Amino acid sequence: MKRLIQLLVILLVALPWSAWPSTPNESRGSLVRVRASIQPYDQFRPWQKKSPFGLSGTGVVLSRGRVLVTASLVANRTEVGLEKPGSAEKCAAEVEAIDYEANLALLKPTDDQFLKGFSGVSLGTSLKAGDTAEVWQLERNGEMLRNQAEILSAGVGRYPSDEAGFLVYGVRVSLPKRDDSYTLPLMRNGQLSGMLMAYDRDSQEGTAIPVPMIEHFLKDSSDGKYEGFPTLGVSWSPLRDPNLREEVKAPSDGGILLMRVNPIGTAGRAGLKEGDVLLTVDGFRLDEDGNYRDPLYGPTSIGNLVRTRPYVGAIAKFRISRNGDEMELTGNYDRRARDEVAIPTLQFDLAPRYLILGGLVFQELSGAYLQEWGEKWPERAPQRLVQLFSFQQEMKLDPKKKIVFLSQVLPSATTAGYQHLSGLVLSGCNGTTVGSLEELASIADSTTSGDLVFEFMDDPKKLVLDAAEVKSGGDKLGKAYGIPALRKL
Amino acid sequence: MYRILVFALALTLVGCGRDGQLREARRNVVMVEVTSQTWDYRLPWNPGTVSSARGAGFVISGKRILTNAHVISGARYITVQREADPRKYPAHVKFVAHDCDLAMIEVEEPGFFKGTTALPLGDIPELESVVSVYGFPIGGDRLSVTRGVVSRIDYNSYTHSGRESHLAIQIDAAINPGNSGGPVMQEDKVVGVAFQGFRGDVAQNVGYMIPTPVIRRFLKDVEDGRYDHYVDIAIRWMTLENPAMRKYLGRPNDGRGVVVTDIFSEGSSDGILRKGDVLLSIDGHPIESDGSVRLQGQPVQLEEIVERKFAGDPVELEVWRDKKMERVTLKLRPAEMFSMYEILYEPPPRYVLYGGLVFQPLTANLMAVLSGSADLRLRQTYTLFGQDQLYRETPEPVVLSFILPDPLNVYLRGMAGQLVREINGRRIRALSDVEPALRAGGERSVIRFEGDQRPAVLKKSEVDLAMPRIMTQYGISETSRSDSDGRRLAKGTYPRTESK
Repeated sequence: MKRLIQLLVILLVALPWSAWPSTPNESRGSLVRVRASIQPYDQFRPWQKKSPFGLSGTGVVLSRGRVLVTASLVANRTEVGLEKPGSAEKCAAEVEAIDYEANLALLKPTDDQFLKGFSGVSLGTSLKAGDTAEVWQLERNGEMLRNQAEILSAGVGRYPSDEAGFLVYGVRVSLPKRDDSYTLPLMRNGQLSGMLMAYDRDSQEGTAIPVPMIEHFLKDSSDGKYEGFPTLGVSWSPLRDPNLREEVKAPSDGGILLMRVNPIGTAGRAGLKEGDVLLTVDGFRLDEDGNYRDPLYGPTSIGNLVRTRPYVGAIAKFRISRNGDEMELTGNYDRRARDEVAIPTLQFDLAPRYLILGGLVFQELSGAYLQEWGEKWPERAPQRLVQLFSFQQEMKLDPKKKIVFLSQVLPSATTAGYQHLSGLVLSGCNGTTVGSLEELASIADSTTSGDLVFEFMDDPKKLVLDAAEVKSGGDKLGKAYGIPALRKL
Repeated sequence: MYRILVFALALTLVGCGRDGQLREARRNVVMVEVTSQTWDYRLPWNPGTVSSARGAGFVISGKRILTNAHVISGARYITVQREADPRKYPAHVKFVAHDCDLAMIEVEEPGFFKGTTALPLGDIPELESVVSVYGFPIGGDRLSVTRGVVSRIDYNSYTHSGRESHLAIQIDAAINPGNSGGPVMQEDKVVGVAFQGFRGDVAQNVGYMIPTPVIRRFLKDVEDGRYDHYVDIAIRWMTLENPAMRKYLGRPNDGRGVVVTDIFSEGSSDGILRKGDVLLSIDGHPIESDGSVRLQGQPVQLEEIVERKFAGDPVELEVWRDKKMERVTLKLRPAEMFSMYEILYEPPPRYVLYGGLVFQPLTANLMAVLSGSADLRLRQTYTLFGQDQLYRETPEPVVLSFILPDPLNVYLRGMAGQLVREINGRRIRALSDVEPALRAGGERSVIRFEGDQRPAVLKKSEVDLAMPRIMTQYGISETSRSDSDGRRLAKGTYPRTESK
């Protein structure tokens, strides 16, 4: 009985804090519902799209009439609409800037009067572990629910569409189930502190994109030319092991060991090399585990130092030890190591390219194609494709050349005997190397009679089609399989 | 892909209804009880876990007993028993062929064979003809017989070795664990050895037997006192059904021939066949465009011609090359480049222990214990080893398979599962390279891996101090087992495990 009373007391006290209906004024000024119609491309049938579905989230109205959401809310969209809380007033919106790595998108209403009367929110300061904030949710009637949240951690962690990691908040918050919760703002003192991007109802923990990421994204996009977050283009190892330190002649403490340096990346062009010990970046000293001391967050991974903080084009200063000799190297932050690759990691909003010749379906390899094989794609997808994608840097694939591969064969009289083939990487056609679908198309188009000889990396090394038959049979093939176009380049 | 589970089939004859057959079976079918030891590749220095199992066997001419390899693999003690004699006689393995799952065992005591008559071998039975399966499957201790018909005659994988496919005959008689090694009989002749089936939740009434061509091949192979491996033509080929492809190769549309797409170096065809060759006949048998040949009127894969041959035997091929006919002869040899995929049973696992770091060659057995923790690079190396002919560069990839925790290697934890590239500047191409490389170099040993993993660095003086401690701690008596014997054994000679 006594326990029950205690419990009641706690509930009575806690409730007003955790879910305090705000004044209608506040929500009118800061939040809108965002409804997105999503229809992803079908990588296995690149001429068609998959079933559409809808997502709805909560967007944050910024002071200059733009709405901030997570990028995953509007990935592969066919349409995006805004809706005022408390009324059914709607307006279409377009995506003004989007960054899938940083998981942020900026929406612009097509009617510039739509957000008139919204005061918008401004960006707050960054939070650290132990700080408290609020997650705002919209009730159906437009009222706002404010749920108290605790920042558990602020450090570098994984984002849904990024491999290396950015600064992320770990958040504990108890969220009631509501519509429009795909994206929710994290607020403190009426200012935006972050965007909740993932939440687990069982553990009541989630992750939020912190304000420095948002700030970077907004500043970058403000000039209309979005450049994105820079990257060093290195892989590294901690240098805690005293034996390893001795072997690489590292100084008495600090620093990390560079295991691979992409020559076209920020570090590579500044002159850093494999085997160097990286001691400081822009004056920040790195410890043996690759952490620097952040004035706000304390020890934080180098990822934040080189990816969130600087902008593309900014000067990058490195202090390294090479064979025991210390030296300073200078370069410019860029993201070429990420962008200039033979096989792109993720592709959203882009229709997969393909070329169908007589029933042989050719595509360009991408991370999106491999992920179509499901969560276990490294085991399930054709192993040659997995190998090229996963080890493209060490295999030194030319970033200017795409990997063209035979993804499947549509059985027809022309492709008789080939129907079981798939996942074969094309090396050339009629004796010419092929580095893109366009190149393959131009060889095929210019061959009007005789043979089309396709050469592959793996067995069978060669396939032959009759060029005239490929040309004449195209319409029939398209009709038989209901494929509207035999190519999309 | 269904996983076919191997189980021991003990056959009891229930009844093909012929008294003569039943009488013969009762005389010649033996129960084989085996205590075996299985190596643990996680703890390669240990003698392994002991287990017991029961299978079947049967007496053939010359007081020889045939059974399955999987019944006796890793055997430490074998006894055989006949229905007519309650005594259990010790037996030992004379020959074992893991690649076709057959073994011959011997009993020294001549009294054992009193009353046996030796079962004769028959031919491939007709489809839908009735056969009887004899053995000692679960469900009782006495001889059991089940009956069924021949459902299918085709190539199938022999799961015991993990990599081989040979002719196998599917029957619909109930075959259960304990049936393995028992004879499948038609009239008074043995037409197969029961050896594997599907688990009940996968398929019903599907059992497989090893047909007599495979058995005869085994018996002939061991005539010289040892068993050699199957031989392989070691090429890849593609069917030649596409008219444009045929025209390109200059072949008429006559439904004949397959095209060679790859030749494995160091294999039987290396230097003899070429990519793009069209194979038109093999030992005089015309090859159809789907890769089949006719053998005694039955369509079979062209490899069946090679299957029945032995190391050193010639194969004659009619080849269409550069738009001309040619005749080539190749000498068959085993496809050793694929031995990595063969599950090893007898040879003790090889390893090198250094400062708590365990180095092992990449084998099917090691992959089985690493499966969950193997990273993409290791899995890809394993998968592509044959296909990409990685063996030419690295005949035997070496893996840092495990790390036994010790203060010495505290900073190296989590590095297990990497492929070793070089040690102290020396390229590692086989396990036998590891120990000499570790002795080379200066005061530190530097172990580098494939990929962008950092090197492992150990001070030699510290390793020397730590080794006795680690070996005591983990109960290891030898720092390595890397003699070349292991490799030879892997290719099929059998070490006598019994003193007689």
